[in-house]
Amino acid sequence: MKRIALYLALFAGAVVSVAPYLMTLNSALKEPAQVLTTRAWSPALPVTFENFAQVWSEYDMSGFLLNSLLYAGAVTAGQVVFSTMAAYAFGRMSFPGRDALFWGYLATMMVPQIVTLVPLFLITREMGLIDTYLGLILPAAFGTPYGIFLVRQYFRTIPRDLEAAAHIDGAGTWTVLVRIMLPLSRPILATLATITFITTWNTLLWPLIITNSDATRVVTLGISALKGQYSSQYHLILAASAMALLPLLAIFLAFQRHIVRSIALTGLK
Amino acid sequence: MNVIDNISLRGGTARGQRRARRPLAPRIRALVEAYILLAPSLAGFLLFLVAPIFGVAVLSLFDWNLMGAPSFVGLANYRELAADPEVWRAVLNTIYYVLLNIPAQTVLALLLALALNRRMRGGKALRVIFVLPWMAMPVALGVIWTWVFDPRYGAVNQLLGLVGIDGPNWLTDPAWAMPVIASVNIWQYTGYTMLILLAGLQAIPHQLYEAAAIDGTTPVQRFFTITLPLLRPSLFFVLVTNTIGSFQIFDTVFVMTQGGPGGATDVLNFHIYQQGFQLFRSGYASALAMVLFGLILLITAAQFLYFRKRTVYDFS
Amino acid sequence: MSTKFTASAVAAAAVLALAACGGGSNESGGSGGAVTLRYAMWDEVQKPPIEKSLGEFMKAHPNIKVRIELNNWNDYWSKLQTQLAGRSAPDVFWDHVAYFPKFSKEGVLTDLAPLIAQDKLDTSIYDSKLAEGWKVDGKVYGLPKDWDTIGLFYSTKALKEAALTPADLDGLTWNPTDGGTFVRVLQKLTVDENGKRADEPGFDPKKIKQYGLAMQAPTGQQDWWNFALQNGCKLQDQPWGKWTIDQPSCVQAIQFVQDLRLKYHVAVPATVTNPPNGPSLDQVIGRGEAATAMDGSWMLRAFDTALPNGGFGVADLPAGPVGKGSVYNGLTEAIYAGTKHPKEAWELVKWLASEQHQKAVAQAGAVWPGIPALNDTFAESWKAKGVDVTGFKKAAEGTTMGYPLTVAADTYNVKALDIFNQVWLGQMSPQDAATKINNEANAAIK
Repeated sequence: MKRIALYLALFAGAVVSVAPYLMTLNSALKEPAQVLTTRAWSPALPVTFENFAQVWSEYDMSGFLLNSLLYAGAVTAGQVVFSTMAAYAFGRMSFPGRDALFWGYLATMMVPQIVTLVPLFLITREMGLIDTYLGLILPAAFGTPYGIFLVRQYFRTIPRDLEAAAHIDGAGTWTVLVRIMLPLSRPILATLATITFITTWNTLLWPLIITNSDATRVVTLGISALKGQYSSQYHLILAASAMALLPLLAIFLAFQRHIVRSIALTGLK
Repeated sequence: MNVIDNISLRGGTARGQRRARRPLAPRIRALVEAYILLAPSLAGFLLFLVAPIFGVAVLSLFDWNLMGAPSFVGLANYRELAADPEVWRAVLNTIYYVLLNIPAQTVLALLLALALNRRMRGGKALRVIFVLPWMAMPVALGVIWTWVFDPRYGAVNQLLGLVGIDGPNWLTDPAWAMPVIASVNIWQYTGYTMLILLAGLQAIPHQLYEAAAIDGTTPVQRFFTITLPLLRPSLFFVLVTNTIGSFQIFDTVFVMTQGGPGGATDVLNFHIYQQGFQLFRSGYASALAMVLFGLILLITAAQFLYFRKRTVYDFS
Repeated sequence: MSTKFTASAVAAAAVLALAACGGGSNESGGSGGAVTLRYAMWDEVQKPPIEKSLGEFMKAHPNIKVRIELNNWNDYWSKLQTQLAGRSAPDVFWDHVAYFPKFSKEGVLTDLAPLIAQDKLDTSIYDSKLAEGWKVDGKVYGLPKDWDTIGLFYSTKALKEAALTPADLDGLTWNPTDGGTFVRVLQKLTVDENGKRADEPGFDPKKIKQYGLAMQAPTGQQDWWNFALQNGCKLQDQPWGKWTIDQPSCVQAIQFVQDLRLKYHVAVPATVTNPPNGPSLDQVIGRGEAATAMDGSWMLRAFDTALPNGGFGVADLPAGPVGKGSVYNGLTEAIYAGTKHPKEAWELVKWLASEQHQKAVAQAGAVWPGIPALNDTFAESWKAKGVDVTGFKKAAEGTTMGYPLTVAADTYNVKALDIFNQVWLGQMSPQDAATKINNEANAAIK
């Protein structure tokens, strides 16, 4: 009896977790008029891709998705490469100023994004990068303290003997990093890449102030503008939202093992 | 890259002389190598993080709309915000949001974690399902929630209608707008919190429960005497990080209510954005940002002190 | 693995470089001598006819390409001002009276006076009231693009059900004491769930199915400013001056709008209509939740979609203690002072202000034109759809109040949205609200 109640409760929780996704997809597949006349949970019959087609072509959703892909992809690439380099220096090398600098990095982890927003806008303006991809990407592409911290912690769990052996064989720092540390760190790098991609893909605030034209508009802004424009045309808004959510869902399911594990770990640090 | 290889190669061939040169050369070499590795991240760190942090402190002493010339006003922005009822309303709204959000989310997450902390079929799959909301785009969620809570076409009022209840106008009613926004966050982060707590639960040694069971304690007693005390570090971590995160709520407010209706969801982050990039009072916005920063520093300091005192565990 | 890592490092660098190029090519301008102008607007309804007309323009000017940047009203202003602050504003953009004073003060607009003189442009074709609005100290910052006023949109079906005719909406009056004939008629149009009307015994104000009136105005332009004008209130002591909305005549107008909701129960409650999440008024009327709505002439197309085939009409606003009156406003196309292509931008603005272009837009029924000779073209396009829109023109020719000219429009708009929402909900008194907004908006004038 207790067991059944437990399963029921868990099942209810699971339903609540996926219901918004399913309802969104379901309603986005309905005909425009049906979105308003049928219940949110009644199935889309007949299924139509008209709404998707409309936001894709007329509303330039394809362009926004492409911009988001470029933005999140570039930031992720930069984050993984540069965080790894810095993490190795912090985690495995000793040099004057290391600990002070590392504490400096850690201290900035708690600075809310909105705090630096106005000065960051001004710096970007002086660099002439307002409303450019570069202005969008650069501030986040050099590795964040969070990423460096994550990788550094992982590096420290790798036994030092391996490196020492390589050093004796005459391998330099770069070789050790690339040949020994990286292959052993694949899980954490995959995690960092996935989390960075998801966070960047979902970012609203920075693109909101730094980009203005359709050419650089990312998908978060596209959806927000769509809501402002067609507040009651839910068929379009929902189709656009589904398009923004689904790529991430795919990435998440592909990497779910890494992500679930890394979240569990954050609490144990 | 070549530079590093050259240096390390030379280090390799000169192995015979290593002892003699140890005091200086390897140290310089290590220093150079380390800073080459650090250079990109350090450049980004200084230019895009450290400089703006100092910049915001300086800006908070000016009156500037970003177009004309800035004028120095000393502490006037801080005096103004101390006397500004809207700032206090924003602070209270933020606290209200945190209070709606954190307790519900933590209790739900704890219950889920307790339920999942046992061998059961489908446990792994359930974990993944519960974390699904965590990666959703807050902007899309805001849009979807606006629809779900639409008084006419939304699922919530349609469900309520089935049992004969005439649901309220959720987002245009100041009494309901904030709870709805909090519900987005609860939905999004409960699974994430659950995972962290579950990891904490799984780290509690099983023998403790067995011993306590032999002593004839009830499950409820065991929960309060074993689980809760040993889960405390995870629980506290979750509470602190989620609270700090909640203090920075922006996306959902921006998309769903723009701080309305009648300022009912005007939270600190949105207020700062509005002052900075709708009213273009960048000095005043910077002063507000400093206040938010101070608030979060306080919470972090509390966290630090707590961990100093309580860190008795090591799960490595 | 080494090559893999090196490869990904190179890939990262390549992506950044690619982004840099993308960023570069995004700058307006381009190769082969053709210039791309960015033209920013907020009204989706006007975009199709404007786009069509711009096709003609580009044919006549093969060296110029025009790219429209559309953002809804709410996003438009924060975006435009961020662009101005970031020195990356569109070459040509729609300008509104609310923001014009600030922009002219900050020097971000191009003075057209020398260009007009050089091309000997005939500016007498424009409505002088509108044209004067864009002049400051002998400088001209725009030519009239269009105009708008506020009218009383009604659902013909709701009127018929109440046994009223459009003529019954003419000549209504209101007053602060008992609401006058305006409220009487609105009571007839307010129906509860049992079919009882608000002027009948047994009417239940807690269960209203259809309200007599719907109002929604982030600033006041479509609701209480009109009552204010009809009550002898002046929003400002003078153009470019201080706000004076804490005067009794203004507070009475705010009180009246609150009374329509909370005292007479004839207007849709604020919990439904409060911006930004309340449905637009064409939706409210279309769903049958209200019989009439005070709204601007720019909403005609939206109402036509919600209530097609002559399902709606437009009546005059009621008269108040001082008389009739309506808020009258217009837009212009401004040239960004920092544009890299001033010559081409002027060519575009000349086209947009031309009779040929404004006629095309008026024919589509998008907006009343800035050239008065074309007003009939606009009215006829609506007559063909079975809607008489001449009420707007009558209102424009009667007593009007221009949109307030102030450098503190931002502050006023943000505060008004916040504070009036509270007043309409009954959470703040009209006097407190007026005093508060007045003080804060005036404090922002420097």
